[in-house]
Amino acid sequence: MSIVDIEGLTFSFSRKEAPVIKDFSLSVGKGELVGILGQSGSGKSTLLRLISGLETPLSGTISIAGTTVVSNHVFIQPENRGVGMVFQDYALFPHMTVKENILFGLSKMPRKDRKQRVDEMLELVQMEKFEKRFPHELSGGQQQRIALARALAPKPKVLLMDEPFSNLDADLKESIREELFNILRKADMTCIMVTHDRNDVEAACDYSIVMGQADVKNHISPKKFQSIK
Amino acid sequence: MKTQLIRRNMKKEFNGWWIISLVGAVVILLPILFIFSSIFQEANENWLHIRQYLLKNYVANTIILVVLTGIFTALLGVTLAWIIAAYDFPLKRFFRWGLLLPLSIPTFIAAYTYRTMLGYTGVVQSTLRNQFDYQINSEWLRVSGISGAVFIFTLFLFPYVYLITRAFLESQSTAYIENARLLGRKPLAVFYKVVLPLSRPAIVGGIILVIYEVLGDYGVTSYLGIHTISTAIFQTWFGMYDVNSAMRLAAWLMVIIVGIFFLERLLRQGRRYHLSSKSRPLVPVKLKGIAGIAAFVYCGIVFLLGFLIPFIQLLFWAKMTFVKVWDSTFITLVYQTVFVAVISTIMILVISVVVANVSRSHSSFSFILSKIVTSGYSIPGPIIAIGVLAIFISLDHWLAPVYSKLGLGEAPLILSLSLIMLIVGYFIRFMATGFNAIEVGFEKTGKKYSEASRMLGIGMTKTFFKVDLPLIKGSLISGFILTFVEICKELPLALLLRPFNFETLATKTYQYANDEQIYEASISSLLIIVISILSVVILQMIGKKVKK
Ligand SMILES: Nc1ncnc2c1ncn2[C@@H]1O[C@H](COP(=O)(O)OP(=O)(O)OP(=O)(O)O)[C@@H](O)[C@H]1O
Ligand SMILES: [Mg+2]
Repeated sequence: MSIVDIEGLTFSFSRKEAPVIKDFSLSVGKGELVGILGQSGSGKSTLLRLISGLETPLSGTISIAGTTVVSNHVFIQPENRGVGMVFQDYALFPHMTVKENILFGLSKMPRKDRKQRVDEMLELVQMEKFEKRFPHELSGGQQQRIALARALAPKPKVLLMDEPFSNLDADLKESIREELFNILRKADMTCIMVTHDRNDVEAACDYSIVMGQADVKNHISPKKFQSIK
Repeated sequence: MKTQLIRRNMKKEFNGWWIISLVGAVVILLPILFIFSSIFQEANENWLHIRQYLLKNYVANTIILVVLTGIFTALLGVTLAWIIAAYDFPLKRFFRWGLLLPLSIPTFIAAYTYRTMLGYTGVVQSTLRNQFDYQINSEWLRVSGISGAVFIFTLFLFPYVYLITRAFLESQSTAYIENARLLGRKPLAVFYKVVLPLSRPAIVGGIILVIYEVLGDYGVTSYLGIHTISTAIFQTWFGMYDVNSAMRLAAWLMVIIVGIFFLERLLRQGRRYHLSSKSRPLVPVKLKGIAGIAAFVYCGIVFLLGFLIPFIQLLFWAKMTFVKVWDSTFITLVYQTVFVAVISTIMILVISVVVANVSRSHSSFSFILSKIVTSGYSIPGPIIAIGVLAIFISLDHWLAPVYSKLGLGEAPLILSLSLIMLIVGYFIRFMATGFNAIEVGFEKTGKKYSEASRMLGIGMTKTFFKVDLPLIKGSLISGFILTFVEICKELPLALLLRPFNFETLATKTYQYANDEQIYEASISSLLIIVISILSVVILQMIGKKVKK
């Protein structure tokens, strides 16, 4: 069963400009980890913003877990799509502690279950000791793990990640990448990840897509990468 | 297909936030539209008389005042900005800030202070008479007519030009000025050939602010006996209760405003320089000997005349009249002023926050919305006042059947005699002050936190209270202070729109001065000035804290 279904997606920032994304289609199955590659400016971030509902396409449809979230006559607000996102710069709320950040997305959960979920998440990303800290008191890698915990806590149907490693140096990146993919596999999470780095893709993605290349742009032919495992 | 998309997008955007924003925009736009609609009504005899005999004079006086004040504030503001930005001399750091203080003295207060101080019984002439036995010709020192008004406007409004030009010179012009210096040009040549042309947009921006103040002035011009369009609006209303003619005058004033708007465009766009984006501060040159003293004296004289002397004079008068004026009615006055200012400010900030949040979507519609909401600031107080008044009177007419059903009598004036009218006036006029402060706050925090919140399943409204509001708290506070102070100082709207027996500090001060009870006016004047200065200090402190 596919979790994310994109059909004929077209988007442009203004009527005068050529579309950033043109007639794009993609289907991602449950538990799959898809890498999105492409040059700077090719529309990778824009694609994630369209899936999450932060931008609205000119045409095309997107369905998430069988529900149409956007089409020519439907638009479901981002907060109702069940999509989690890890932002490029994490966007942890600066006025809240680590714990409050993770609790933030759990308002629909029964009160008594929330605390347990936060602890679970902190354990998953191995940050139990930091729950009282504020984001500016954490290192880049720690912030990244909290951002991931925050996005996973409400149990999204699909997780989107926009260059989650771009702020990390090479050594840290390798260890965190390993850790991240383990976490995602453990949670059986469907995930779409934008990256600059082919190594990321080869390390863990089931397959990848290259955006913005004339020949693949209109028609997606997923290049299967050998999964490392 | 097209309509389907439009319907989808409307449904997507449409929510309570938009409704509130649209209501705010309508309230702000309505008085202005109402004024223009007056042109299409049949003119009455008053208007024919005004148009035939008086209008030309009003327009001429208005334009002369604007042109002369514009020229003199530019001279004073630009030279001071250049001296402060480019040179170092004794007390420069103090003057850099101190030269803004004239703005804290409302011009009508400055006008009556100077007029009295320089009058026959004033401190200048009586000292000359009594100590030096010298009888100066009173006419020379008389602050009146156009020359008096230009003197007051120049001395107390130049900081607009000074502030904007100085900020520009200090941050944007370094590379060009240093190059010109390195090329061996004399300071004067640098000023004429480089500084003036480069900073023209900044200078024009400052002058435009001054011109708006002059066009909207009622206090100074009426006190000094000059007939401008603005004073005529008041006279037509208070003298003849002729709303229609007052609105026609306001429409004429709008025409001038629109003319200035295009003039500004022209002056700014004539030459556009691409300034280097990497700006570093201009390093001031130390002035030695005579030049240093001259700069010090120049700044010193402007500071004395524009702030210290009138301020001290007011302190003296306040001491003389303190016992007489400071009583329970005065306390009530302060309370009333604060009350109406706080209510209006809160309303302004609430709507500002809503509109600013909506316009973060950056659609062309939200752009128009933000333009409408901030339009009140470039429309002089008397125009807004007469527009609001006309609408409220019409409202009372329409509601007359309702009133009589409620047993309030036949055709009473309910709304147009209530405080609501004044609050609406303030709301329109000072919306931009609050809105701009809030918008800066939103721009600083960006959209990423709200987006992160929406991705966590939290809707727009809850996101606003849990994420946006705590993050723009600083801007909210500065927006509150700025708006509050503007309202405390405001005169024309308050004079025209207040209910009977309702006074603010500004209207009471004006009343005292108009009744030649100049000394009695000093305490409320000082209070207004102190509130203005305090707010500047508080804002500076907030600014420093934020930087840390
Ligand atoms: N808000 C915006 N308004 C107008 N154009 C935009 C906007 N944001 C992005 N673009 C343009 O859309 C195109 C795609 O941008 P996008 O951010 O999706 O690229 P990207 O593939 O994520 O690039 P990078 O790898 O640098 O992050 C670019 O050409 C960019 O200039
Ligand atoms: Mg990107």
